Amino acid sequence: MVTFDYLEPKSLEEACALLNEHGDDARLIAGGTALIIMMRQRLLNPRVVISLTSIPNFDYITFDAKDGLRLGAGARHRDIELAKPVHEHYPLLHETFRKVAQPRIRNMGTIGGNLVQGDPLTDPGASLIALDAEVTLKNAGGQRVIPVEKFFVDYYQTDLQPGEILTEIHVPPSPPGLAWAHIKFLPRSLEDFATVGVALTMRLGGDRCEDIRLAFNSVAPIIMRAKRAEEVLRGQKIDDDRVGKMAEVASTEVDPMDDNRGSAEYKRELVRVLVRRAVNQALDRASAAKPSGRQAPAPA
Amino acid sequence: MKRHQALNVNGEEYDIEIEPNRLLLHALRDDIGLTGTKEGCSIGVCGACSVIVGGRLVSSCLTLAVACQGKEITTIEGLAKDGKLHPLQQAFLEYGGFQCGICTPGQIIAAKALLDSNPHPTEEEIKEWMSGNLCRCTGYYKIFESIMAVVQNKVRAEDLTARERREARIQSLGVYKSSS
Ligand code: FES
Ligand code: FES
Repeated sequence: MVTFDYLEPKSLEEACALLNEHGDDARLIAGGTALIIMMRQRLLNPRVVISLTSIPNFDYITFDAKDGLRLGAGARHRDIELAKPVHEHYPLLHETFRKVAQPRIRNMGTIGGNLVQGDPLTDPGASLIALDAEVTLKNAGGQRVIPVEKFFVDYYQTDLQPGEILTEIHVPPSPPGLAWAHIKFLPRSLEDFATVGVALTMRLGGDRCEDIRLAFNSVAPIIMRAKRAEEVLRGQKIDDDRVGKMAEVASTEVDPMDDNRGSAEYKRELVRVLVRRAVNQALDRASAAKPSGRQAPAPA
Repeated sequence: MKRHQALNVNGEEYDIEIEPNRLLLHALRDDIGLTGTKEGCSIGVCGACSVIVGGRLVSSCLTLAVACQGKEITTIEGLAKDGKLHPLQQAFLEYGGFQCGICTPGQIIAAKALLDSNPHPTEEEIKEWMSGNLCRCTGYYKIFESIMAVVQNKVRAEDLTARERREARIQSLGVYKSSS
């Protein structure tokens, strides 16, 4: 493995100062699940590794009905998965985090680390986009807040600027009865990344879709929101035709590549199928919660 | 630059001199000499290197030793107490939970981490939890059975002789009776 110096700041201010001091030579570490592999494979060669694990209260998970959910960047996947407010108020997040790798890796990896890596194959980003989440980025001089959707810029590239640390993820309160679905389609088994990942939320009004968020991982250089596809259904009556049209548009909006999980063409086809499936799951769930609810369209 | 590092492993303090890039896995195996923890994939997937750090099951192949300062580390060597096997170890013997054995320390440590936080997991919970520990020999069923045996308190007395253990295991396989 590459050699480096290891620093363990005791506060965020100290971490920002160290980051400024060492600039490009430094890398931050939290759970280590991504960085250690990249260093072992010599894809990254930092001279200094700055650990965020000794910063007090960097892994909080708090919920307030008015404000929503706030996750410290150091919160681990497993803790988010098991947190009561997540389970109760953000079932989409609970479901998503439950599917990340396996429990041992969820015990280690942090949500902040996951996002700043900008790896388009990982799961949490799409569900955070579907819930309109935003991230707080701090540097020595101040902070800014941007939507998760805007955070992913290119393959393994995020909007994080030199000297910045991602400190918090904020998920606004979900409107009551928000319909949702998450599908992680695996090539073989749990330890694989998704061939296609879909996260969907819909605000329903009778049989109409008042509002919608549709996001994907593993089918583009970034974890992406499919805005053109959303437009097909937003404000419209939900029926087979429209959902099919939305799935069609989504399959052209994504930008997958050939890899060991399948060809680009196969993944586009999967997107077409999974979008319909996600809508059906979301509607089924919504009508199960409300027994008088509408009938879901025929399964894809 | 090398630095002094104290590691608390299985209740003992070890003082070692390591580079900051030393992985916990290699510190345990090569600096301390506890080779029960195995290295398989080196990328966090297989679970052979599983250890418990500060109450959490982790991959020691993705953990820096310097990050374990002041935390309790449990490895497979820490399970047997006063010459008696841990019930999980006993169960893996009685129920045939291993064959070649390379994955076994990780399996047992992972199972221990589960039972520490949830002494009565459901079958589903066991399967979900153990999904991160790969085994290329057993087909998993015997591993699952071994853990179930502990959950259901079916593990035999811990002081069987080697021969009695073998008998018990053969019986548990349910295939044939041992002769002599
Ligand atoms: S060697 Fe660490 S998980 Fe495989
Ligand atoms: S016993 Fe051989 S790999 Fe599990």
